[in-house]
Parts: sequence; C-alpha cells; structure tokens
Amino acid sequence: MKKHKRQNSFIALCVAPATLLFFIFMVYPTIDVFRMSFFERGAYSPTENYVGLQNFGVLIKDTRFIVACQNTIFLIVAVTIVTFALALFFAACLTREKVRGNSIFRVVFYIPNILSVVVISGVFSAIYDTKNGLLNSLLSIFSGKAVSVLWKSEELVVISIAIAMVWQAIGYYMVMYMASMSAVPESLYESAGLDGADKLTQFFNITLPLIWTNIRTTLTFFIISTINMAFLFVKAMTSGGPNGASEVVLSFMYGQKDAGLYGYSMAAGVVIFLFSFALSALVNKATEREVLQY
Amino acid sequence: MLKRILSLIISALLITGLFAGCGEKEQMDKKLKVAALSSGYEETMPGMWQEICDAFEKATGIKTELTLEKNLEDVIGASMQGGDYPDVVLLATGREAGLTEQLIKDKNLTELTDVLDMTIPGENVKVKDKLSGGFTESVATNPYGDGKTYLMPMFYSPCGLFYNKGLFKEKGWEVPETWDEMWALGEKAKAENIALFTYPTTGYFDSFFFSLMYAVGGPEFFDKVTNYEKGVWETEEGKTFIDIVTKLASYTNKKTPSQANDQDFSKNQLMVMQNEALFMPNGTWVVGEMADAVAADGFEWGMTALPAVAAGGDSYAYTWMEQIWVPKGAKNQKDAKTFISYMYSDEAAGIFAKRNAVQPIKDVSKLLSEDNKLFYSVYENGAKAAIGNFAAYKSVAGLGNPADYFFAPINSLVSGNITKEQYVNDIIKATDKMRENLINK
Amino acid sequence: MNSNKLFKTFVYICLLLLAISILVPVAWVFLASVKENKEFYGNPWSLPQGFYFKNFLDAWNKAGMGEYMLNSVIVTATALVLLLVIALPAAYCLARFNFRGRNILNTAFAAGLFINVNYIVVPIFLMLKDGDTFLKNLFGGGFLLNNLFVLALVYASTALPFTIYLLRSYFVSLPFEFEEAGYIDGASYFKTMVKIIFPMARPSIITVILFNFLSFWNEYIVSLTLLSAAGGSKTLPVGLINLMQGQQAKAQYGVMYAGLVLVMLPTLILYVAVQKKLTEGMTVGGVKG
Repeated sequence: MKKHKRQNSFIALCVAPATLLFFIFMVYPTIDVFRMSFFERGAYSPTENYVGLQNFGVLIKDTRFIVACQNTIFLIVAVTIVTFALALFFAACLTREKVRGNSIFRVVFYIPNILSVVVISGVFSAIYDTKNGLLNSLLSIFSGKAVSVLWKSEELVVISIAIAMVWQAIGYYMVMYMASMSAVPESLYESAGLDGADKLTQFFNITLPLIWTNIRTTLTFFIISTINMAFLFVKAMTSGGPNGASEVVLSFMYGQKDAGLYGYSMAAGVVIFLFSFALSALVNKATEREVLQY
Repeated sequence: MLKRILSLIISALLITGLFAGCGEKEQMDKKLKVAALSSGYEETMPGMWQEICDAFEKATGIKTELTLEKNLEDVIGASMQGGDYPDVVLLATGREAGLTEQLIKDKNLTELTDVLDMTIPGENVKVKDKLSGGFTESVATNPYGDGKTYLMPMFYSPCGLFYNKGLFKEKGWEVPETWDEMWALGEKAKAENIALFTYPTTGYFDSFFFSLMYAVGGPEFFDKVTNYEKGVWETEEGKTFIDIVTKLASYTNKKTPSQANDQDFSKNQLMVMQNEALFMPNGTWVVGEMADAVAADGFEWGMTALPAVAAGGDSYAYTWMEQIWVPKGAKNQKDAKTFISYMYSDEAAGIFAKRNAVQPIKDVSKLLSEDNKLFYSVYENGAKAAIGNFAAYKSVAGLGNPADYFFAPINSLVSGNITKEQYVNDIIKATDKMRENLINK
Repeated sequence: MNSNKLFKTFVYICLLLLAISILVPVAWVFLASVKENKEFYGNPWSLPQGFYFKNFLDAWNKAGMGEYMLNSVIVTATALVLLLVIALPAAYCLARFNFRGRNILNTAFAAGLFINVNYIVVPIFLMLKDGDTFLKNLFGGGFLLNNLFVLALVYASTALPFTIYLLRSYFVSLPFEFEEAGYIDGASYFKTMVKIIFPMARPSIITVILFNFLSFWNEYIVSLTLLSAAGGSKTLPVGLINLMQGQQAKAQYGVMYAGLVLVMLPTLILYVAVQKKLTEGMTVGGVKG
C-alpha cells in the first residue's frame, strides 16, 4: 500500500509539469483559436464581442484570402510531389546503385535542412536577383545572351518559393528513405534480377511497396509541415508581395494579427486547422495499402 | 558541462533581474518631467535630449527630469493610467501603438495656441514669427479643425522625387515642372533605355499620393480623398489623379515590382543611382541608407517636389512631422509651455541639427549639412508643404489599410495584371466601407 | 550492359547537379561575406579580391549580431535544459507505468504532434499580452512578453509532443529487468530512473537535443512575435531579418552576408561534428513537424 502511494506520487511529480505546460501552451491556445474566431476584439482593448460566424462570412469573400488559399494548395501539391519524387529517386540511387562518394552526397544533401529559413531566404535572394543573381547569370552564360527573368514577379513568385522549399526538404526525406530502403533484404532484388525485372520494375514492385508505411507517415506530416514552411519562406522572402501574389494562409493569418484583427485572424486559423486535418486524413485514407512484410 | 551552462543561465537571469530593479526613479514634483521617444536621431548619436535639457536649464533655471524610451507608449501609457502624467511629451501621431491619437480622441491634451505668442527664452522673437509657414495649420497640429493648436510641430523631413542630378546635367535634361513635361521626359529617357520611374516598395507611395492629391485639387481634394468622400473618383480631379498614377505605372521600370519587397527594395533605389530609372519617391534618409552603394559615374542626389498638374499650378512636397504636446493631467503646464517655446530657439535647433533632426523654423537650412540643405530648401524653391494623412477608421474584418487599395495594386498596374478600371473600382468599393467606419464622423 | 552504364552516368549527373545546387550557393555566401561592398556590383561569380573581415566586425558590433548571438545561446540552452528536465521523467512514466489517465495523456501528446506552433502563435501572444496587462494593474509592470526566459519556456513546451513521442518509443522498448534490479538494491523510483534508465537512453537523448537545438536555434516566427519591443532583445534569426530588411542601413551586402554566415556557422559546425548521429537519429524521429 505504502509502495503504491509512493509510486503514485512519483508518477504525478514526473508527469505533472509536462502535462501542465502542454495544456497552457498548446491545448489552451488551440481551443482559443476556435473560440476567438467567433469574437472580435479591439487591438488596444481586451474587450471581446461575440460576432457569430461573421468572420467566416467575410473571410470567404476576401479576395486576398482566396489567393492565399490557392497559393497554399498549389504549394502543398507541387512541393509534395516534386520533393517526394526526387527524394525517393535519390534515395534509391544512393542505396541501390554502388555510387562512389555515397556518404559525401548524403552529408551534402542534408545541409539545407539544418539552415534557418531566414538564412535560406538570404541565399535565395542572391540566387533570384534580377541583375546580378546567380540563376540569371548562369542562364545568361548558357544561353549566350543577357537573361533577366523576374523571379519574384507576380507570375513567378510562387514557383520561386516552391523551388526554394523543395531545395530545403529533399535531403531530409532522402536520408529517411535511405534508412528504410537499406532495410529491404538484398535477396529480393537478386531473385527479381534473375527473373529479368529491370531497375524501374524493381523500384515500383519491390522498393516502393516495402517502404510504403514509411512513405505514408512522412507524407501526412509533410503536408502539415509544408503549410507551415510555406509561411516561413513567404514571410522571409517576399512578405506576401507583390500585391499579395505570394500570400499563403498562415501569412494571411499573421498579417491580420498585425492589423489588430485578432478574431478575423483566428477565423483564418480555424480554416487552416480544419483543412490540414482533413487533408491528412484524406491522404492517410487514400494511401492505405495492405502492409507488406519482407 | 550541463552544470556550467545552468549556472551561466542562472547568473545571466540574476543580472538582468538586478538591472530591471534599477529602473525606479525618484518622484520629484518640482522637476519638469520630459518624456521623449528615443527615435533614430537619438539612436545614431545618443545624448541629444540630455543636451537639450541641460541647455534649457541653463537658459531658464528650470530643472528637468528626462524619460527617454524606444517604447515610450508602454512606459508612459501605463503611468498615465495610474494618474502620473509627464509634463511634456514628444511622440508623433501615426505610430503603431497610437497613444497620441487616443489622447486626441479623448480630448486629453492641453491647448497650446498661446505658445505661439510666447517669446522664445533667450531670444526676442515670438514662436509664431520663428516657425516656418504652414506648419501649424493642418490636422496634425490642430486635430479638431477649430483653429486651435494642441500639438506643436517638431522634427520634419520633406519627401519628394529623388533623381540623379549628374545624369540630368550630362544629358542636358530639365527637371519637369508639369506632368506633361514629365511624360515628354519619359519618352526621351525611353529612347536611351532608361525608365522614367521606379519605387522602393509601394509603401513609399504615401508621401507621393498626398503630394499628388494637393497638386491635383488643393487641400479640398486632399480632404475629400483622405476622408473617403463618396463620388470623389468620378470628379474631374479624381479622374486626373488616377490618370497620372496609371500613366506613371506604364512608365515604371518593369523590374520594380519583383523587387518591391522588404528584402530587395534597395535594389530599386539603386536603379536611380545606376541610371536605370530617373525618379523615385523617397525621403531624405535614403542618402544615408544608400551611402555605401556604388553609383554610376557623376552621380549626385537631387530631390524635387512633385510636378504641377498644369503650367503655373502649385507643386507640392509632402513632409513627415513629429509633434510635441502637453497632457491635460500635467502638473507643470506653465513650465511645459516654456519648454516647448524653447524648442524653436537657435540653440535648441542647433543641438537637434547636429543629429540631422530638423526643426520647422525659418533659416534652419544654414544649420544643415550640404545634402540636407538641398532637400530642405525644396520649400524655399516654391514648393508648398503637404501635411496630413488618411483619416482613421475602425479596423474591420476583411478591410485592410488604405495602402492595400491605393498603393499595393500599383505593382499589378506596372506588370499589367490589372486595368485602370479594376484599380479604381476596388478603391471605390473599399473606401465605401472605410467611410462607414470613420472614427471621427 | 551499355544501357546500365548510361543509367549510371545519368545517376551521377543527377547527384552532382543536386550537390552543386546546394554547395555552390552556400559557398557563395561564405565568399560574399568577405567581399567589399563595391565588389557586389559586377559579375556575381568573381572571387573576393581580399579578405574583408570588417564585414564581420560590423555585423557583430554595429548590427548587434553579437548581442543577438548571446540571446540565442541563452534561449536555446535554457529551452533545451527545460525540455529535458520536463520531458524525460514524463516520457519515462508514460512508457513504464500503468496509471489512470495514461492512455488519455498518450493520445493527447500524440495529437500534439499535429499542432504546429505557428498555428497557435497568435493565441499564445494574446495570452501573454493579457497576462502582462493583468500584472501591470497588479504590480505596475508585466514581464511575460519580451522575456527570453518565457520564449525559452514556450519553445520547450511546444517541443514536448515530439520529444515525449521520441523518448517514449525508446523507453517502451527496454526490458523491465533493469528497473527490477534497481528496486531490489533498494533504490528509489527517482534514483532508478536517473541512475539506471537515463544513461541507457543516451542515444535517444542526444537525438532529442540535436533536433531541438536546430529547431530552437533557427526558429523565428515565435521569437519575432513574443520579443516585439522595438529596441528589446532579439534572437539571431530575427536580428538577421532586420539586417536584411531595411531596419539597418541598406545596401551593405557584405555585412548582410557576414550576418548570414554568423547564423549558419554554429549549425554547420555542429552538423559536421555529429552528422552521423543526426541522420541515424532521424529514422526514429521521422515525424518532424
């Protein structure tokens, strides 16, 4: 009995601080996002007025928000597809092909992931510069004439951000898939090779199905992460410009907070919350396959 | 290792705690309590305000107690709520926290019209005779529009169109005095592969728009636009205004929008220095900002007021201005007014001018550096001072700042992604809502 | 056989292209950081004419990067210490003991993995702001916003789900014999946990430290929001944004790139030192948010 009591107080002491902080700084603010979206509060006075669904009503008609949604969806789709395709390709190359300098490539590809987004935005500012940028000067050298692509213009800015995001993410996912791919037994490939299956067939029939569980989990988290990363990149690279052309939902939300419209800002927050959960669930469902064992 | 880090952290926390404890000041009602925003002038060369207070004490015998903070609103806002008022406050309108606006709204300022008739300490001149013209006539100093002054003008900084003087000399071009001359110059420059216009970010259009409003239709048109009056864009003036803006957009360097963000804006400023564009709207700070940039040969900064709409019309240059005021709850109101009148003495203006903070007094240009002399002489060369801002409205969900509708779309006008009609229609739609939510209706 | 060779060449070209696209810009920034200002107006591929170290001195002193560096060190170290002190015992108990509410807590922390701190940064900011207003009325001064310690606390708290998830999955895998041996020797629960279990969890703890160090050190949205006072303390990434975005004198490209180098150098050094541990550890921590 005494031992039981001691054990209980030990557990309480261990678990309480984490639980408390988790509730104060994560659970409560999350609930507050949803609650505040039904209110409007003054920027300089903490009084709140209940406005019902009015914030949402305005939100769906706000052209800036609509552009932000389109950009967010575009970035999720484009960045996810390109990143996963490239990460899988490079991971397969490095594990399946006997590439010289294997570990050096792995070390280099991972570098962008350890850099702050602020640093990356500084690097890409040098790359995308119209006049003396690395990219334009490279294109000029290869095409033999002066190229001045406006990488941050209204037409190209979202694509430019997508490129930076892919650049940042490839290494991380590649290293992750390399780990799971190297766990696939070599014998499977050998017997497939004897049956005359070429590399592409091997990749789609052996590698992909066997690491599918891993791909599924990472995909779900990647989508949530992309919504967030898009915000970090936009805020540091373009501040949403020109004329709102590169705004994403989280940067829209943050901008409304800066304007003192907390309720409206949180209405956008609710939309992104629900959207990301729904999308994760959808992707999770759509990618459901029978789990294969080696 | 961990232990050492921990003890380091703890000692760091202790030290910051100790310093925080030193902030308390003794209460002495005898002293004149001066509270000033520690802005860029003070930051670059500290000691300006202390020097002013010392000189003031020498001139008048009145002792002062100085509060100097970057976040002045937080410091004095809290103490004023507790009933402890500073006697004199230097804090402009238009800041994010909007403390000055709040006091104006609540009618919590002491009237300062009588300061204009006071004699400046140590000099035989009245304040109103020393002040430059036009500075105590706008809503910036007379917030209620009743001819009574509640805020006195302080440091000002003219804005205009900046250009490369050297290039104009080299090509033999004249700085245009009307917009028609401007367009003619635009064609000439185009032939030389130089764009007529650029801008750092669309945010820099504020001073440009205000000046243009004055130039197009005088103070009446300015009031109509900044108060979002109905139908103003259907008037002749309204149409002229939009015509000029859209035409200017078509003469803008096509690279500008892709660099018109917080990170790349200096590349747009560089266009003027490297002869890729002729004019840009800016303020006097750009000279210091771009001091280390490499310019084209023979480059020399020039600044001009906005051209007039028709030959012989008025040209305007907008000016930023800070204000000094006395809260109603101040205990030493008489000394506070003496302090304000002292701000316009040659002695005080000299101390300010050392940090490039310029007072709106006559002959101030003789105190200034060469570059600044040129900029501040814009009013002596016939341009009128434009002062004012968009009227404040309640923040409403889905309705952004005036900048979102007036300035930001210029990026899209330049790249040709929206038409003039779309631009005007969006402005009309937005200003309808702004008008409904005006605070001082 | 020939097509095989062709494929291999193709693979090498792809690998090299990606490697170049990463290495060249990063190296370029390092070179740019020692260029003099006037060197930025010509060909971007020219090598620096000399070693212009003044950029770093200016970034460190004039642009305040030295002070920001100290702030970042304080915040990151405090947050890591807090996180470990709080998360380790919690993860241990959640993994090894059966108690009421355990399943609910496990589910709650797992759900926390889906909540990104940037989704909830506005309510956190408002909560602290309201707290400050409350304290102001009570004591005449608030200390929740613009406080490095509070920022560290928020970092640690929002990293809890990921950290607990990672540590718990390790603790679950341990056999119970270790603790039983400790109890038989008469050691208390606390002593057993600290002396026997934690040392065994060292690889996991190192993974936790590495990942959270990177995320705390590089974070800038929360820092930007919670350290909002105009002249107050800033962390390194926020200071860098200020350096890049016109708050300081502009067109000082050399100083800007020196600032960039100052921010990424510590992470690069750490990465070179521990890259093996980092990439091994991440297979466990595959759910980085």
